Amino acid sequence: MSYADRAEFHYFHFFPYTGLPADAADKESLWVDYSNSNYDPKAGHVLYQRYLSEMLLADKLGFDGLVLNEHHNSQYTMNPAPNLTAAALIPQTTSRISVFGTPPNFEYPNRLAEEYAMLDVMSGGRLDVAFPLGTGMEYWANAVNPATARARFRESLDVILKCWTEDGPQSFAGDFYTYRYLNPWPKPIQQPHPPAYIVGAGSSETMELAAEYGFGYSVVFIPTSMQLKVFDHYRDRLVHHGHEVTDDKVTIGIFAYVAETDEKAEEEFMPHVMYFFETALRTTPRYLNPPGYVTVPEFRRRITSADVHGSADWDSLLEINRIVAGTPEKVADAIANWVEEAKTTRVNLNIALGDMPNWKVVKSTTLFAEEVIPRLRSRKVVPA
Amino acid sequence: MSERSADTIDRIELDVNGTPSVVLAMGDPLAPPLVYFHGAGTFHGAEFAPAWAEEFRVLMPFHPGYGESGDYDDLQGVHDLVLHYTELFDQLGLVRDVNLVGLSLGGLLAARFAIAQQHRLRRLVLCCPAGLKVPEVPVDDLFTLKPEEVVGRLVHNFDTIAKHLPADPHDVDFTVDRYRETRTTALLFWEHPFDRVIPRWLGRVYIPSMVIWGDEDTLVPPALASHWGALLPNATVKTFADAGHLVLDESPDAVTTIAEFFS
Repeated sequence: MSYADRAEFHYFHFFPYTGLPADAADKESLWVDYSNSNYDPKAGHVLYQRYLSEMLLADKLGFDGLVLNEHHNSQYTMNPAPNLTAAALIPQTTSRISVFGTPPNFEYPNRLAEEYAMLDVMSGGRLDVAFPLGTGMEYWANAVNPATARARFRESLDVILKCWTEDGPQSFAGDFYTYRYLNPWPKPIQQPHPPAYIVGAGSSETMELAAEYGFGYSVVFIPTSMQLKVFDHYRDRLVHHGHEVTDDKVTIGIFAYVAETDEKAEEEFMPHVMYFFETALRTTPRYLNPPGYVTVPEFRRRITSADVHGSADWDSLLEINRIVAGTPEKVADAIANWVEEAKTTRVNLNIALGDMPNWKVVKSTTLFAEEVIPRLRSRKVVPA
Repeated sequence: MSERSADTIDRIELDVNGTPSVVLAMGDPLAPPLVYFHGAGTFHGAEFAPAWAEEFRVLMPFHPGYGESGDYDDLQGVHDLVLHYTELFDQLGLVRDVNLVGLSLGGLLAARFAIAQQHRLRRLVLCCPAGLKVPEVPVDDLFTLKPEEVVGRLVHNFDTIAKHLPADPHDVDFTVDRYRETRTTALLFWEHPFDRVIPRWLGRVYIPSMVIWGDEDTLVPPALASHWGALLPNATVKTFADAGHLVLDESPDAVTTIAEFFS
């Protein structure tokens, strides 16, 4: 069995707010301090309707799951509260729903445990979750100290796991949270709890945390070659901490677009990928690294390595990210290669990206479901 | 005893309840002590200190998490630093008649230390102290300002500070050192930039005190000087022309005034 023929495709949609005024091009950052006077709720309504319809299409076409993210003070996503979106999708879908996810630091952890348990019970056990620390930008937007974020994060995870895996009433005495009666109703339907991932940006602290808790691990914003090294290290650390290494423990992100020819696919996809990297992700190093958000050695590593936020050229993007645009054959080949080298069966797939119009999303999503997934699943594996 | 030059620097290393701490010292060890608490950045040094070392034993500790001192695990607020300095003062034998001067964050710390440990002090000088919330005098949030903007607003005359900045504005070591110090400042003040204790308790500090401000301070407004003066029962307020936030670097007159006040 290859990884490719068992690969699961989770349809990731960032719900971007698009149609920014022309002067957005002059802004240093489109996160944190880019004024919400540029947000038009009527345009937002139209976009929500459209994006929900794209998620429902993916569900009907048989994608294995739908994935939502969370960010604040940003045009990057219209999901600052993705559990609301997940709740809207649940009664209309049958695929899995991934909330990737609410940073536990920005909610009381018992409440986050409750919300996820609600979604799991409401969906009949279709929920996957990720626990992000939250990007640096979120710490400028929320009333939480970035310098204690990692310690608070760890404690939040302990509270959530206690809520999910131990019968209440329990008590909890931590440095950040004290609970006298930890006894949330409901508990999740999946046992011991919904599949859980930690999302990181490659720092060893975050990777180690995922391994220690036995959570899956997903990594964003670092080059593919570096991701593979981090994944190998993560699997070693999983074993070290006594957890089983399964094929879905690592999640990889892929940006893919399918069309009739390679040239047409690239022509149709490229402007939206460029928009994503140049506009949607644009922010400043200061917002990426608020005081104390990373350790001092990790800060040194970051300021001496490449920055993916807000500047890009197509060739270097292809080199450091998993981006493919082409015929079903080309896309299937690229994906088969990526899942084999990452030794994973779990793919978070972005087709909708940046300012892509609905017709392209519908076209590429349909072609991916009907022409790419069957190709991957019917592959014969040549024994080594 | 040999003659000591006033600008010879002794480096004293201490273990303050687990925090490796460095104190730079100048002047005759037997002279009356003058302790200086630095602000939220240490990169501009203390070029004014030799003037004090003519007459005083000048002791300049690096706060935990700043400059040459180590980090204080689990640092949560200014009160932790008050306890840190209570122990550090004990180790240095600073039990009475200490002259204490603090600038900016160090001014706030000096005020908080005086509230709890006044019996060790002879006189107190607060230079443009941070952390007092006065509704009619808005103060810009330090974390919200861009670093390059903060640097510009530290001084009235940029030449004062230019020589302490690296030639390359992206110098890695300099940037990392500033990140570490700002991290410590965030541990202390991110959630609560204004001090809750000062307005309620500073009235306990009856020793002769002085509040000093640069007229051109654009970081912490000079309009706050009279408010600090009003909270301290036995204080005079002095402001100095052509000086910004780093009033001791920019006003030799301020440095001399402090020396005379402590004499």
